[in-house]
Amino acid sequence: MLTCIQGETKMYETLAEILRGTVTIGLVLAGLLAILIWIKDKSTRISYLRVFVQVVFTVLIFIGLVIGPFGLPQVPPVGNAPRDVLIGGSGFLTRVPDGISIPVLACYYPSGRTVTCALWQIQAYIFPFWDPGAGFTFDVSYINTGVQRLAVVFSVIIVMSIVLGRFFCGWICPFGLYMDLMTRLRKIFKKRYLKLSDRTNTGLRQLRYIIIAVVLILSVILGSEAIFGTQLVQGTERGGYVYSYFSAPYCQVCPMRPLCVLVLTGIGSMDAEYVLSTTTGAFYEAGYYLTSLNLIILGLVTFGALAFRRFWCRICPLGALIGLFNRFPPFKWFSAIRLNKVEEKCTKCGICKRVCPPQIIEVYEEKGGDVTTSACILCLRCVEMCPYEDCLSLDLAGKPVFKSRDWLKEAD
Amino acid sequence: MTKKSIREKMYVPEIPQKEIEKLRNSIKLSSKKAIADHIQRMKKTSANRPKTMKYFDEIADLFGQREKELRAAKEEGKKVIGYLCTFAPIELILAADAIPVRVSSGWYDASKLGDRIVPVEVCPIIRSTIGAKMIDLSPYMELSDAIISPLTCDGMTKLSEILSDYKQIWTMSFPRVKDTPSSLSSWTEEVKNMKERIEEFTGNKITGKKLRSAIELMQRATGAFRRLQDLRKGPPVIMGRDAMLVTQTSTWDDIKRWTEKTEALCDELEKKVREKSWACPQDTSRILITGTPMIWPDNWKLPALIEEASPQGVIVADELCSGDRLLNDPVGVDEWTMDDMLTAISERYLMASTCPCFTSEDGNEDRINWLLTKIKDFKINGVIYYVVRGCMLYAMEYTRVKRALESMDIPIYYLDTEYTREDVGQLKTRVEAFLEMLSARIDF
Amino acid sequence: MTVSTLITAGIDMGTQSVKVVILKEGKIISRNQAFSGFNPKETAEKALTDALENANVPRTTINHITATGSGVEMAPNSDSTISMMGADAKAGVYLIPSARTIIDVGAEEARGVKCDSKGRMLNFVVNERCAAGAGAFIEAMARALEVELDEMGPLSLKAERASPINASCVIFGESDVVSLIHRQESKPEIARAIFDAMADRVSSMVHRLGISPDVVLIGGVAKDVGFVASLNRTLGLEVLVPENPEYTGALGAALVANKRAGDTKN
Repeated sequence: MLTCIQGETKMYETLAEILRGTVTIGLVLAGLLAILIWIKDKSTRISYLRVFVQVVFTVLIFIGLVIGPFGLPQVPPVGNAPRDVLIGGSGFLTRVPDGISIPVLACYYPSGRTVTCALWQIQAYIFPFWDPGAGFTFDVSYINTGVQRLAVVFSVIIVMSIVLGRFFCGWICPFGLYMDLMTRLRKIFKKRYLKLSDRTNTGLRQLRYIIIAVVLILSVILGSEAIFGTQLVQGTERGGYVYSYFSAPYCQVCPMRPLCVLVLTGIGSMDAEYVLSTTTGAFYEAGYYLTSLNLIILGLVTFGALAFRRFWCRICPLGALIGLFNRFPPFKWFSAIRLNKVEEKCTKCGICKRVCPPQIIEVYEEKGGDVTTSACILCLRCVEMCPYEDCLSLDLAGKPVFKSRDWLKEAD
Repeated sequence: MTKKSIREKMYVPEIPQKEIEKLRNSIKLSSKKAIADHIQRMKKTSANRPKTMKYFDEIADLFGQREKELRAAKEEGKKVIGYLCTFAPIELILAADAIPVRVSSGWYDASKLGDRIVPVEVCPIIRSTIGAKMIDLSPYMELSDAIISPLTCDGMTKLSEILSDYKQIWTMSFPRVKDTPSSLSSWTEEVKNMKERIEEFTGNKITGKKLRSAIELMQRATGAFRRLQDLRKGPPVIMGRDAMLVTQTSTWDDIKRWTEKTEALCDELEKKVREKSWACPQDTSRILITGTPMIWPDNWKLPALIEEASPQGVIVADELCSGDRLLNDPVGVDEWTMDDMLTAISERYLMASTCPCFTSEDGNEDRINWLLTKIKDFKINGVIYYVVRGCMLYAMEYTRVKRALESMDIPIYYLDTEYTREDVGQLKTRVEAFLEMLSARIDF
Repeated sequence: MTVSTLITAGIDMGTQSVKVVILKEGKIISRNQAFSGFNPKETAEKALTDALENANVPRTTINHITATGSGVEMAPNSDSTISMMGADAKAGVYLIPSARTIIDVGAEEARGVKCDSKGRMLNFVVNERCAAGAGAFIEAMARALEVELDEMGPLSLKAERASPINASCVIFGESDVVSLIHRQESKPEIARAIFDAMADRVSSMVHRLGISPDVVLIGGVAKDVGFVASLNRTLGLEVLVPENPEYTGALGAALVANKRAGDTKN
């Protein structure tokens, strides 16, 4: 495959052109598809509102990523970014040079950051940026210690996830949008989705916690020199091999990173040549932007998403993190967004269970009251499809804002 | 005729053709009279009965217009597929360009003929259906090319065996527990098999497009039905018997036309609501009937008693598989693929049902919940739990329902009867005492 | 409240006899009973006239007549009707204010009524269309034992032990009694068996309704000491029997008439 020989610029350029072309065509097609479906079937409104919101947020997040103050790797720098207006000062008690953390897969790596994946920040502030000082790039420098920055990150995501919960997953996360687009792609071929058994599905839910635990433990081990003063693993010193390439262990396997890079390269806001030149093809060697492991996992997840609805969301560690905070009793009472079920109205027709993208069974099985679970992405498909009036509802601060309606009336 | 009729009869005795004809003619005549009489009484009960009810009065004549239409359709090569129980997936029949009709019998006199084959302890609906078939009474049964029989209660199970002496019967094995994954998958399998059977039998392939339009057709019918239901939630704008008749005609009428006519009825009723022209005084006790199915034309005595009693009652809702349960639940399709549509159909019939043939640890809670919701939504004053003798499942579930309703302080009365006209006097005493009790509760 | 005196009548059109009660200002001034016979309408008319004569009240002064009973359609000139259970509850609580469960055992029917302190019916049960739980059963059995109906009760009290019989049906019950006779059981024991069987049926019916004290027994059969003793045994409590229990239905109707007449007047 590719090697890092600087001389082969031409090859990179051709590849970059192909990449750019493919992604552009893909995006245009996806857009057309969304419009077509919307025209054809207007009755399912909340679903399309959701697609709209997802697209808007994805665009916003990507713009934030694109118009960074650093311009890296684009030369010359693009200039003032929205983030400079938003968070340029020290509004958040401390400077947040890496952007505000949000609990969605909005990747740090590609470019400037207005908002950034919280998971990257958590890993990076444990290791390698435990101490104040310079970051990877020459114009990022931290004035706070890792502990302080971590505190900010955690408090932001805890507040966000308590208040909004996994609403982020269903409505904002760009990778969630990618999952939904795969579902729509499958629908074009009139193939039915597959179902995981309920047992596997609940098993996957536990797996998420294991993944996040492993990631955190790994980060602590790798950052042991910064934190405890002794190296548990060699090469974790500043500038060392592990430091340079495996600083954020989860990101090396994350399916969102390559997707982000591909899309941004495609739309021309990242220099393809630079991306490719900093990427190695070898499985065990990491690139700055992509690893082959990244790509393999993206491929697997894409296939998974074609077969199972919202496949990634069932094992997403970031989703688990939000779910965790959203679920614990002390936080549960503050959470603003909840799914509520009125038991007597329910005839247990099973529609809510069948239409649920991450295959949640609690909405169907639980007796009534609050039926939100840590796996629920609050996409509201169940509320939309429930044929009994007022049976399911989305409660915002205890008040129902969106209730299940008799959708037969709208079909007329 | 089908191959089945050649096979040696296992249950049914040979009856001379002459006797068959004699019995048929006499029962048919009395049934025609009963139909006319019931409609006459329904007209009398409500001074300002909706004009659009005229259509339903006509279609309610089992030996009238619809029979002719079915004959004409059959001559054009269409198939008629009958069904005995509401669990039969009607959408599949419609998608194969066949005509679905329900063939369960409500004839009192026919049940006496059924006694020749099965003991009197057996549910009279079963006996009557057998009896009606013995003398070729029911036009819909006679016109059916095949009959789908979901094996729900014990009566239905053996009934399909007995009817096999005459007709092509397609049984559908039915799970008695609905919440396990295996029961859903086995029932879905049955539905898929039924699709293949219907396709083979009619020669029409059920394509995704056809099935989708059949589902949407039934969804529109459900929409119209629910509109009528919503109107019954307010002050009584239509008598219960009229609404029950409307709902029940959907089991043999052309479903598209039925939907249109029901929408027209709803339009008229909405006008009546605006004019505040009620079918009976607003303080009339609001009754919900639950229990064994009540099948037109003969088994209409209880609704008639309730609405003609003094003090009067008005049936605003029911929980019968011959009534509100027929069209209440829509097929909810997530993705319009063939597989998903079939799953959605099988789920709609299995999971949404509140039939007492299901059993569960929490005591068929779905039925209780649905009853409680109805009681709240329709502002019910009292519930009449109606059971025909021999209907074990409904009879046995009474205590469970009674307890649940007592906790809500809703009076419930258990009424058991037979396929007979002779106990009307006794029933009247009880119904009137119950209504008196309810009106006293309202008065004080 | 009312200026003129309020005179009301209640007619109970029972299956075997017609009962009439006349009230004046809510107090009983006359009662009468007559065997229904072949023409209950005429019988009722006559019973009413006789009762009025006894009380010395002219027919025209009656403000309101309420009819009840299984033959309610045949009641002469009634102004309104009330169900048997409604009448039972009303009169039961009027006669014994602490009554909450009222058992009415008539000639061919047995009923149980639950009521509140105001005599409003809360719930009711009716026996399953068979006379085995009602007075007609005792009559048929008395015939089989060749004793007078009135003697049955005192006779049964002399019994030393109970022998079970089937009381699901009058006919089967009779054949059971015959087999007891063949086994040379003594008359008191058979009589007690008959009352026990009947009480069994009535109590299972009342248990379906739920028992809340005090329990009052009314209707013609309530006069039978044997039945009362048997019922006390099966229910495990002391049932109260008012005076003239057979008139309870008519009294209830008359009380309802009194209320309704008062309502229309005011």
